[in-house]
Amino acid sequence: MHAAIRAIEYFVPGNLLTTGDLAARFPDWSVAKIDAKTGIQCRHLASPEQCASDLAVAAAQKLFASGASRPEEIDYILLCTQSPDYFLPTTACLLQSRLGIPTTAGALDFNLGCSGYIYGLGLAEALICSGQASRILLLTAETYSKFLHPQDRSVRTIFGDAAAATLLSAADTGDARLGPFVYGTDGEGAPNLIVRAGGMRLRGSPDTAVEHLDEQGNLRSSDHLFMNGPEIFNFTLSVVPSTVQRLLEISEITLDQVDLFVFHQANRYMLDHLRKRLAIPAEKFVMAMQDCGNTVSSTIPIALKYAAAQGQLRPASVVMLVGFGVGYSWGATLWRCDTALD
Amino acid sequence: MDRDQFLKCVDEILELTPGTLQGSEQLDDYPLWDSTAMISFMALADSHNGTRLSPRELGACQTVSDLLRLARVEP
Repeated sequence: MHAAIRAIEYFVPGNLLTTGDLAARFPDWSVAKIDAKTGIQCRHLASPEQCASDLAVAAAQKLFASGASRPEEIDYILLCTQSPDYFLPTTACLLQSRLGIPTTAGALDFNLGCSGYIYGLGLAEALICSGQASRILLLTAETYSKFLHPQDRSVRTIFGDAAAATLLSAADTGDARLGPFVYGTDGEGAPNLIVRAGGMRLRGSPDTAVEHLDEQGNLRSSDHLFMNGPEIFNFTLSVVPSTVQRLLEISEITLDQVDLFVFHQANRYMLDHLRKRLAIPAEKFVMAMQDCGNTVSSTIPIALKYAAAQGQLRPASVVMLVGFGVGYSWGATLWRCDTALD
Repeated sequence: MDRDQFLKCVDEILELTPGTLQGSEQLDDYPLWDSTAMISFMALADSHNGTRLSPRELGACQTVSDLLRLARVEP
C-alpha cells in the first residue's frame, strides 16, 4: 500500500508587499535587481492578529469547500510550522477543534521549514501504510514575516506568509503513489538560518531586542530571523544535486524519466542555477514564487497547484519533489500523480 | 572561459561596464560586493569549472585577483 495526494488548496493573507514597495524602502536595490535575484514580485503578509493556525484553517476550509473531503472524514492532522500560535498546546489540536474534525483523529505539529512538505508526505505515507490513518490532512503554515526586521532586505525580499492543505489517502491503483523518500540532516548549518531568541535557550528580553546593523546595512536583533545567504547557497549546491541523484538511484529511473521537477521555491536565482547544474530542461522545472515569494513549507504544494493550472502537471506525470533549508534539513520524493489538482 | 571572459562576468555581477576589472582592484572599493554578489560569484565559479567556494574563504578575499585564485581561474 502507498499513500496518494488527493487534493491541494492554499491560502495567502491579504496584505501585499510588492517589489516596488521594497525598492522604495531600499533605494540601492532596484525593482529590476530584486526581480532578477529573487524572481518574486509580490509577497503576502499576515496581519498582526493572524497566526499560522488562521492561515491553515483558511487553506483547509478551501479544501473542504472544493468537495475533496468532509472534515468528519479526516482521521489524522499533520501540521508543519515553525511559527505556532503557542509553545503549547499543539497548534494541530486547535485546528482539530476549529475545523470540526472528529475527536478520534490524531493530530501533531512538526517543526521543519523548507523541507517540511517532504517530511509531511513521508509521515503521511508511513501512517497510511501502517494502517494508523486512512485520510490525512497535511497542513503547512508559516508567518515568517513576524520574524523579519523591516530593515533587513536579505530576508524581506524573499519570504512571504501562506498555508497549504493537502489531502492524502491510500492509493487505489498500482501506479499512483508517493515514494521512495530520501532524507538528510546537518545540524552544523543551524547558525546560518536561525531566530536565536524566543525559545528556552535564549528567552526573549530587552537584551535580545537590541538591534544591530550588519556589514551589508541590514538591521536585526536576536528576536529576528537571520539568514547567511552565501552559506545557504553553498548548502544547496552541496546537497540538492546529490539528493536528486540518490532518489533517482533508489527509484531505478533516470532524470529524463521524470516529467516534472518541483523544488522548494527558495528564490529564482538559486533554482535557475540548480536546474542548469542538474541539466533539467526549463519546461520540466516549475518556477512559482513570483506571486507569493518563499513561503517555506508551503512552496511545494503552491507550486504543484501552479503547475496544474499552467498545464505542466498532468495525471500520470512522474513528479520529483525536493525540499531543503533551515536545519539544515532536506528531503526528496517521487509522486506518481493520478490527480487533476486544478 | 578564459580569464578575461571570467572577469567580464565579475564586471556584470558588480554592475560595471564590461572590461572594467583587471584584477588588482580592492573589493572594499565596490559597495556592490555584498552577500548577493558573493552568491552570484559562487554560482559563476560552480558553472565555470565546478569549483565549490567556501563563503568564509570568499569573505576573506581582499582583491579581485584573490577571487580569481579562489575560483581557480588563475594560479
